[in-house]
Amino acid sequence: MTGPWLLFVRLILRPLVREPVRSSLTLFAVALGVGLVVAIDLATQAATRSFHSSLESMTGKSDLLIHATGGLDEALLERLAQLPYPFDFAPRVEDFASVDGKGEALPFLGLDLIGHRGGQGFEGTLDDSARRLDSGDPAWVGRRLGLRRGDRVRLLINDTMHVFTVAGVLKKAPGEIGEENAIVTDIGLAQKMTGKQGRLDSIDVKIPQSRTAEFWRRMLRGMLPESATVEPQGARSEQDRKMLAAFRWNLRVLSYIALVVGAFLIYNTISISVVRRRTEIGVVRALGGTRRFVGAAFLAEALTFGLAGSALGLLLGRAMAAGAVGLVSNTVQALYVSSDAAPVEFTWAVVASGVGLGVAISIVAALAPAVEASRIAPVEAMARGREEYVAAIRSGRRGVWAGVAFAAAAALTQLPAVDGQPLFAYASVMLAIFATAAVIPAAIANFARMAQGAIGKMLGVEAMLALRSLGASVGRTSILAAALTTAVAMTVSVGIMVGSFRETVRVWLDSALQADFYLRPAGGAAADRHPTLSPRLPNDLERLPEVAAVERLRAYRISYGGLPATLAGIEIGGLAGTGIRFLPGEDRKAILSKFPTGDYALVGEPFANQHSVRPGSVLRIPLGGADRSFQVLGVYYDYSTAGFIEVDRKILLKYLPDPAASSVAVYLKPGGDSRQAREEIGRISGPGVMVFSNGELRRGAIAVFDRTFSITYALEAVAIAVAIMGVAGALLATTIERRREFALLRFIGAEQPQVRRIILCEAGLLGLLANGLGLALGAALSLILIFVINKQSFGWTIQFHWPAALLLAALTAVYVATVAAGLYPARTVTRMNPMEAIHEG
Amino acid sequence: MRARAGVCLIVAATVACGQQWQLALPGYHYEFPRDHFSHSDYQTEWWYYTGNLRAADGRRFGFELTFFREGVRLTKQQAAESDATWRPDQVYVAHLALSDLDGREFYHTERLNRAGPGLAGSSLKERRYWNGNWQARWTSLNSGEQQLQAVCERFTLRLKLRPEKPLTIHGREGVSQKGPQAGEASHYISFTRLAAEGQLEGWNGRSYSLKGLAWMDHEFFSQASGQALAGWDWFAVQLNNNEELMLYRLRRKSGERSPYSSGTFVDAAGRTRFLSASDFVLAPGTTWQSAASGARYPVEWKISIPCLGIELWERTGFRDQELFSKESVTPTYWEGAVTYEGHEQSQAVKGVGYLEMTGYAGLRNGAQR
Repeated sequence: MTGPWLLFVRLILRPLVREPVRSSLTLFAVALGVGLVVAIDLATQAATRSFHSSLESMTGKSDLLIHATGGLDEALLERLAQLPYPFDFAPRVEDFASVDGKGEALPFLGLDLIGHRGGQGFEGTLDDSARRLDSGDPAWVGRRLGLRRGDRVRLLINDTMHVFTVAGVLKKAPGEIGEENAIVTDIGLAQKMTGKQGRLDSIDVKIPQSRTAEFWRRMLRGMLPESATVEPQGARSEQDRKMLAAFRWNLRVLSYIALVVGAFLIYNTISISVVRRRTEIGVVRALGGTRRFVGAAFLAEALTFGLAGSALGLLLGRAMAAGAVGLVSNTVQALYVSSDAAPVEFTWAVVASGVGLGVAISIVAALAPAVEASRIAPVEAMARGREEYVAAIRSGRRGVWAGVAFAAAAALTQLPAVDGQPLFAYASVMLAIFATAAVIPAAIANFARMAQGAIGKMLGVEAMLALRSLGASVGRTSILAAALTTAVAMTVSVGIMVGSFRETVRVWLDSALQADFYLRPAGGAAADRHPTLSPRLPNDLERLPEVAAVERLRAYRISYGGLPATLAGIEIGGLAGTGIRFLPGEDRKAILSKFPTGDYALVGEPFANQHSVRPGSVLRIPLGGADRSFQVLGVYYDYSTAGFIEVDRKILLKYLPDPAASSVAVYLKPGGDSRQAREEIGRISGPGVMVFSNGELRRGAIAVFDRTFSITYALEAVAIAVAIMGVAGALLATTIERRREFALLRFIGAEQPQVRRIILCEAGLLGLLANGLGLALGAALSLILIFVINKQSFGWTIQFHWPAALLLAALTAVYVATVAAGLYPARTVTRMNPMEAIHEG
Repeated sequence: MRARAGVCLIVAATVACGQQWQLALPGYHYEFPRDHFSHSDYQTEWWYYTGNLRAADGRRFGFELTFFREGVRLTKQQAAESDATWRPDQVYVAHLALSDLDGREFYHTERLNRAGPGLAGSSLKERRYWNGNWQARWTSLNSGEQQLQAVCERFTLRLKLRPEKPLTIHGREGVSQKGPQAGEASHYISFTRLAAEGQLEGWNGRSYSLKGLAWMDHEFFSQASGQALAGWDWFAVQLNNNEELMLYRLRRKSGERSPYSSGTFVDAAGRTRFLSASDFVLAPGTTWQSAASGARYPVEWKISIPCLGIELWERTGFRDQELFSKESVTPTYWEGAVTYEGHEQSQAVKGVGYLEMTGYAGLRNGAQR
């Protein structure tokens, strides 16, 4: 036992400790990679806890849930309560409210606080005063609101402000987190405040233990109107989770790319270790150390980096997660579902997966150099320069492998999604990255050979020397170039994807938004939340002299085919409807004239994609007491994630006779005074309504878009940082290794600044190469992202677009950072004494 | 006199209830069937069913099913603000208890609702009072025949009740006086002998066909018991010579018996005789201490009514019939099936009935304030 340990300490640990800067840079790169994966994992976990999951933690121990689009008639409750079975029914009104002056939408719940069941569900949550409805409009609030009993709180619900008295603070029951920011009131009050008199959003059912849940579910099913759904508690948050899965996968895969960058650096570090300890390895082998023994020693080095890096990465990840939660939560709210960012939970599962990934990827990355170390023959160790020869020989074989990998990557993009996830496309991205890494040595060698003359003339002898050195040490530099290329490619591909998406959305907004003003209730927005405007408002707007037409849109969150979707009632008349753009090949005029005449639907492209719906398909949607069938007339471009189904407003009103609109579009008469119109609109609508002009709404939408992608930009930045750090570490290693060479240069007359320039040129050339290769790879990857991954995950049609400014800025930054990474090694070399250096070893 | 649900305290009435409620005053004109159902002008009302039943195999059961209604006077603001359906101006509590006397198991549960969209209520039109799927439905308003249904996790109880005697109105001049003040009283109606027949389903996996005798009380009043009372002991006695007795002893906080304790004797022909406090003596005997509440209940009593020549010893074969629940919204009390044995005018008599004892568990449960 002591033998191997001693060897590990002497051969591996001691050199690492002697080079603290390089070792810690590698360590840090691994840590950043692992940290990013952990942070994204933690943050998405915390941020994607939807409103429904938080509601469920408030339901107590209910087993089934009854709900319906547009709510249930409360009279149903009487019938249910009389059933001669020991059920317990707890009616609920579910909505959102935001505290006056704050944008965040909070779950607003109406519960039967007198009914024994309602009270019981809250045992330990509401305090004793729970059932005292004595103060004016009492509300119980989550502790995160920071209010105290007796406080008055102004809440915006839909478009109206209401004042409540805080009757108590919701206690945190063990193991529950959902009520931290909820607001609970008695059910009658909640109905009134949300304009849902006579209606319930859901009924919680506690079922008897005597039979299975499925038995009771079927039994209840028979008692309910067709339009009601009865499903196990948790089904709605399960749907939310399913919808969020694509989003989580996307982020996760992006974070894995940072880990891949880290893997390249481990590979590089171990390779350097192997190269520099050839002599020692030779000695160990000569003294009887087996091949396996040597290989294991280097794997142990990787393991050391993996373990230490992962441990550090966990800490980093935890810290970064705190920052990332907000960013991820933004995206989730804007695109998917009202979520309630939970505190970041550091579980053992997260620790295990973080450490597991870190260690696994380190070992895998170190396999090749470790095997190479084990192949070193005792005699071979004495010879110098052979490793470059080996690398050169292998490059031919690598080319073949790279070709196969590229072909496979291309083939994988043609495969369909697996369970809604573009798994093959992700695999294709990874393959393309490795294939590129494989061709990098050849690329460097060719670049060095072909560019030599030109570079020498343009930049002088130092640049030429730098280029030669790059070309001569392909084995080593190619790994660095691969790491940097991967990071650049990631930035470029995501940059192109986001830029294309942004441009597509911008163009789409231009055509989709045709009205002059848009009104919706104030308070935070989320894709699944549809607060309503008071029904009189649009009528009043129609009477304004400047107004030509008013369009009402009413949206409901429904579930379709096991996924959440949005059902909207729209008005397509004279002016309206011009904004809808159908997919190619659909007869717009015919569709729009037929649409308002019956049970017809238009669906958004993502919805069509998710549910394999085409024009002519029939959607069955339970509405207003029965299952209704809507024939799909057309599929239109849509860049929301919510899965849109649009039906004519009059048709929807027939089934759900609630005239309130979720938003209103106002068209002015030609030549109407828009400023005066705005004043008038503002006067009629009051403070609970937000009024946007066309331009404001567009800008707002783009701002939301940018905000939702801030997490992607953050991910890229980290990946770049990891790569740059690797470059710095590796440059330092090579310069130290080549100190005799530099000393020799000094002896033959090179000035200190010239040596410095050589090193900086090397860094610059590396940066240039990586930028070039990264741009090419990134552009290829962006095609996969846009046309395969996006299409399969979300169903959006995105037009390709070069975000030139963004790319230029990113590449410049990478280039500058790479050159800067050469500064420290350059200084180290220029400071050393050529006499000492040349006598060393 | 019955265990008064503390619901008034649950939905705290914001105004002193007093003046706005109708008081139970002498000279009340009873009108049936109207008076079998709700009196929303009175603050508190209850319909109480208890009984001793026997299964075909001889197994003995006691049951209690009670419907309480508590009126809540809302402030004008509250009344205006809350939607009519869910306005918490009537709160309904119901208690259900089963005493498996031979299986020595006592189970009780309660529920609480406001009227809501038909969750609970009392309606002459529908001939019923109910709380969820617990209900008493009058199948005949003339004969007074009723059907009880109570569904809970442990069992379902369905009983048909047929009055064997006409109803009894307790007290004098239509009021059962509980204190010195006018209105410190209740209107108190009983069916003292109801033939009961029905099914108990799902009790520990078995079902039983039951037969026996039940007793029904209906009482409505506003602020009936004075603040000086600590509790009461209430007896329902159904003798095998076709006579019944209702007796209650009101206990003051000072420990002595209130002079407003009283009772009613119903003879075999259904004629009633009012018994004032001085007409009877209730002497507590052996006590039993509840492990749950810590309260000590005198579970054995000696009843003496010299003017009727009656001496009875009350016993119960099963002492643990306390309705205790930590989370309960109503006070803890003891209410159980009991038997009586003794003599009347030197004739040996025996009988069954129910005993209720309140105010022994202190105010630990916080429902009363």
